[in-house]
Amino acid sequence: MSLARDHYRIRKLLEDENVLFCYSGPMNEGLLPGLGQLVKQKIAVETDHPGTVQNVFSILVEQIQNVIRYATDRDASELGHGTLTVGRDGTGFFVTCGNRVENDQANRLREKLTSIRAMDRDELKVMYRQILKGEVPEGSKGAGVGFVDIARRSSQPIEFDFITIDDQYSYFALKAIIRPN
Amino acid sequence: MENIKIDATERTPAIDFNFADNRFSLRGESYPEDVPTFFGPALSALESHLRALQAGYVEFDFELIYFNSTSAKVVMKLFDLLEKTAGQGVAVTVNWRFAEDDDNMKELGEEFGEELQEATFNMCALR
Repeated sequence: MSLARDHYRIRKLLEDENVLFCYSGPMNEGLLPGLGQLVKQKIAVETDHPGTVQNVFSILVEQIQNVIRYATDRDASELGHGTLTVGRDGTGFFVTCGNRVENDQANRLREKLTSIRAMDRDELKVMYRQILKGEVPEGSKGAGVGFVDIARRSSQPIEFDFITIDDQYSYFALKAIIRPN
Repeated sequence: MENIKIDATERTPAIDFNFADNRFSLRGESYPEDVPTFFGPALSALESHLRALQAGYVEFDFELIYFNSTSAKVVMKLFDLLEKTAGQGVAVTVNWRFAEDDDNMKELGEEFGEELQEATFNMCALR
């Protein structure tokens, strides 16, 4: 096997999926400003709609902060591991993020995301306000408002999926699609 | 109370709290590494200052380019506090400044503005 060929295979796979940007590995708060600016710059070249750039950026922030706070993929330095992609979807863009979670956490997440996914724009707005006002018990460490924010900035219902890795862990992935207007 | 003036960074807004003049503002981006640490001291100083006011005039400018969902809780807290202050008999004006082509900030401003009944709320589109 050749190094270049192996590497190109990864690159090609991402290109075939219309990925413009991919990061996989440990995530911390320090990563955010640089990575956020980079993605903003890249998306701004691809669209002249400033709201789209802002929505892609803000979904990226929420997704990365979710990994930093909740991922159970942790290395010795306690950094959460996640895989983030930003890519083209027709006239718009997608942001996906995946990370490992504990199985019981997966069940709670699935429940939460299923209910968010079923909400229309007005219901999301009401839920957002209720969480901000502290009228909704959020469970652990403020989970929830980030997902509601992602759903509100997405142009269509968020997609999510889980696969079981073993008795303890599942892999969780979330996709948001952002179109101009 | 001593005035609070903190410069903006790429991820935290400029805080300008002038307690003597009762003029307050938040300007810039807001996705701090640690929201309670960043906003905590300024917020509690503002809270005790406003709670003690019975009359007079207070003006608060929000000119945020972006805020994450954790910062949104702080914005909501500020709106609640400003509305309460207006309820104490203080003339409170809240200005929401946003770039005129920024539909997200416009929509968020309109939503947060719904929290205010006694305080005066102005949407200010910036060219």
